[in-house]
Amino acid sequence: MKAAGKPGNWKKFRNQWDLQSMVWPGIIFIFIFSYIPMYGVVMAFQQYDIFSGIWKSPWVGFMHFRMFFEAPEFWNVMRNTLVISLLKLVITFPAPIILALMLNEIGSMTFKRFIQTVSYLPYFLSWVIVSGFVFSLLSVDNGTVNYLLERMGLISEPVNFLAVPKYFWSILVSVNVWKDVGFASIVYLAAIAGVDPTLYEAASIDGASRFKQIYLITLPSIAPIIIIFMILAIGNLLSAGFEDILLLATNPILRPYSDVIDTYVYRVGILNARFSYATAVGLFKAGISVILLVSANKIARRAGVSLW
Amino acid sequence: MRNRLKWASLLMASMMLLLTACGGGGNSGASETNGGTTDTAAVSGDGGGIKPLTFSFYGNYDWLTTAPWGDNEATKWIQENRKVTVEPIQSGGAAAEKLNTMIVSGDLPDVIFTDRGSTVERLVQAGQLVALDDYFEKYPNFKKYVKESTLNLLRSEDGKIYQIPNWYTSGQFGNGGWMVNKDIYNALGRPALETFDDLYQYLLQVKEKYPDVVPLEVGEKGAGLEIMYGGFRENATSKFISLMGYPEGDKLVSIYDDPAFKEMMLYINKLFRERLITQDALQQTQDAVKEKVNTGRVAVMIESNITTYGAEGHRALTASNPDSGYEIIWPVHKAGLDKNKVFVSGFETLGWNVNVITKKAKDPEAIFAYFDWITGPEGQKVLFFGPKGLYWDEEDADGAPIPNEKYKTASANDRSETMRKFEDFNWAGNTTFIDTAKMKIEESLAANQKSWETVAQSTVTWKTALDITEFVNTDPIPDTETGIIAQNVQDIYSLAFAQMVQAKSDEGVLSALEKAKNNAEKAGLEKLLQFRTEKWQENVKKIGDAK
Repeated sequence: MKAAGKPGNWKKFRNQWDLQSMVWPGIIFIFIFSYIPMYGVVMAFQQYDIFSGIWKSPWVGFMHFRMFFEAPEFWNVMRNTLVISLLKLVITFPAPIILALMLNEIGSMTFKRFIQTVSYLPYFLSWVIVSGFVFSLLSVDNGTVNYLLERMGLISEPVNFLAVPKYFWSILVSVNVWKDVGFASIVYLAAIAGVDPTLYEAASIDGASRFKQIYLITLPSIAPIIIIFMILAIGNLLSAGFEDILLLATNPILRPYSDVIDTYVYRVGILNARFSYATAVGLFKAGISVILLVSANKIARRAGVSLW
Repeated sequence: MRNRLKWASLLMASMMLLLTACGGGGNSGASETNGGTTDTAAVSGDGGGIKPLTFSFYGNYDWLTTAPWGDNEATKWIQENRKVTVEPIQSGGAAAEKLNTMIVSGDLPDVIFTDRGSTVERLVQAGQLVALDDYFEKYPNFKKYVKESTLNLLRSEDGKIYQIPNWYTSGQFGNGGWMVNKDIYNALGRPALETFDDLYQYLLQVKEKYPDVVPLEVGEKGAGLEIMYGGFRENATSKFISLMGYPEGDKLVSIYDDPAFKEMMLYINKLFRERLITQDALQQTQDAVKEKVNTGRVAVMIESNITTYGAEGHRALTASNPDSGYEIIWPVHKAGLDKNKVFVSGFETLGWNVNVITKKAKDPEAIFAYFDWITGPEGQKVLFFGPKGLYWDEEDADGAPIPNEKYKTASANDRSETMRKFEDFNWAGNTTFIDTAKMKIEESLAANQKSWETVAQSTVTWKTALDITEFVNTDPIPDTETGIIAQNVQDIYSLAFAQMVQAKSDEGVLSALEKAKNNAEKAGLEKLLQFRTEKWQENVKKIGDAK
């Protein structure tokens, strides 16, 4: 029995049909492009043949997974994936929060807008262009950075930055910060803008310094947002990046430090049309990611914030 | 409320529009053309067995965008006079994905233009292609121009021919080689540049006198490094490196056991260590290389496509100073080797790539007839020099076009741009015919009208190209056991190569070589070499049989 005065779900839905119609395209989109293609994961357990298709390709069980675990590159690829991801988590993740906090403290509106625009522009450049910048900045022949360092007398001969494996991780992470920090900070700025200004007024009357205000008011207020993004970032731990690594690590000597799951799948699986193998590795990655996401969410729920 | 409604319906409408647009976009081109409409009306003139026809054509390359048919003088002429229309299907920069999509959806084009090897073999094994043996027998031009041994090598495992060769040849050709910057070379007194020791001494001088110049440029991602191999061993090219083995008798022996390879790596490393080779070698882009070449900041260069780099760089440098520019030189080699047995590039008589006709084609014979026409004299003239009346009006006794006033007066850049557009449609290029005709035209021009490229080709790069046809089709299919070995061995090699180039000392080179040798052996190199040896010996037999 329905309580009087409370309309049924269907009626409620009908009354909001115009609003609902804006949601549906998104749902349909996700359904078509994310859910329907999922049947393709069965390829991971087949010796998929493109001409026979999914229905006629022979089943091979876990062969492709075994092949991946036994591949000579396996441990190296896993190590790089985790190290690069963790570096990104430790450095790229807090960077936009710090930027947002700093921007929030700027008094001049014009200056703040200017910084914001400049810092988020790189986000709209494709990695192809960004890698082009990086190459011309860091190259040995006429590279700007080498030229500068040489003029300042810091080095006697140009350094071959993009051909020394041990520099690769730092270059990759720095470029990522430069490219994404501005755009990522927008969310945090919006969250900060939503903090009740009376809190700051009260705090300053009580004599709290600017740093104390950031630490005691701003950060706790935006903590839920930070935690949500943290959970998502942890879920993506095995996605260390693809385009950036593929385009920056063109020298094969970097491979022991640059080969991550996604670039490995591309090189070994996709380029050689080994679809089943590529799918198996992808599925392995997705499985681990789900586990990471769920556990991160579980931990976060104790703090009172979670995705579900 | 009314406003809300209006916005919502607008949104819906635009979504629908988007969806229909997406749905339609993928298929246009393929849908109407499937098959090829033929009618029996004979075509007059020099058309051979060619019939009016429409077919779809897919170029399986990321970089290839086939222009619309009838957009330039040559294809327009074909459309009007030979009544053939081609509907191109584009790869959109992702050729492999596009082809896979077409295979999965059962929507193959009539003709696929692609590299020989695994793509073709996969299609053959799936029974998607039309066997062309009877047509090769029936139509005149391929029969006349393609050597029997070449046809034999095009046969698939079932003994049938499915492929129409493009830029096949019976003579030598190649575009790889060495060139020097004339200004620097002249200023340093034109020292002999024959042996690798000469080269080393010269590069040292360049480095000292011209600190801003790259002494030795080696091309995009160091592509030129490996081709030095031909200078360390007689009758060899870097093909042996990509095979991972060099021929010893009738067997392929591991490249890691090859003294010539070891010597080359030590030499390259010495030059790199002393900063005589561009330090960006292994990671630089083509644009970066071109920038250096075109501004004259390169003293010596080795590349597998030196004629293109050289012609472009030469044009750029001579624009301001006619005495400047680049000069092709005979390949540098190890002291003691016979310079006439030193090779830089390799060529295969099978040519560059192939066309295959799929079973989707309604009238495969008519399509074949068109390709046979392309490769014949009329097709080659139209698709290389343009139709009669554009750059030529008459032809000589051998059928080669004689350049007219327009050819001679048009700016060389415009002319080559126009002709390059025709060439995109020359899918059954007849190298021997074109080269003979091209050389004749070139001979009739004054010295300053000759192109840098043609001079370089006729004096050096063709002569230093080795016939490596017997090593074609020696790559295993990627998802077989041997294919996986090949992939692992290749990964081990590319890493080791970079380590050897950048090593800090001779010992570093040798230890990287040793390590790669062990890893490759563990990965199954022996098995791979055995596979390749078998394929190679089959080829040798096929070529021998035809002779």
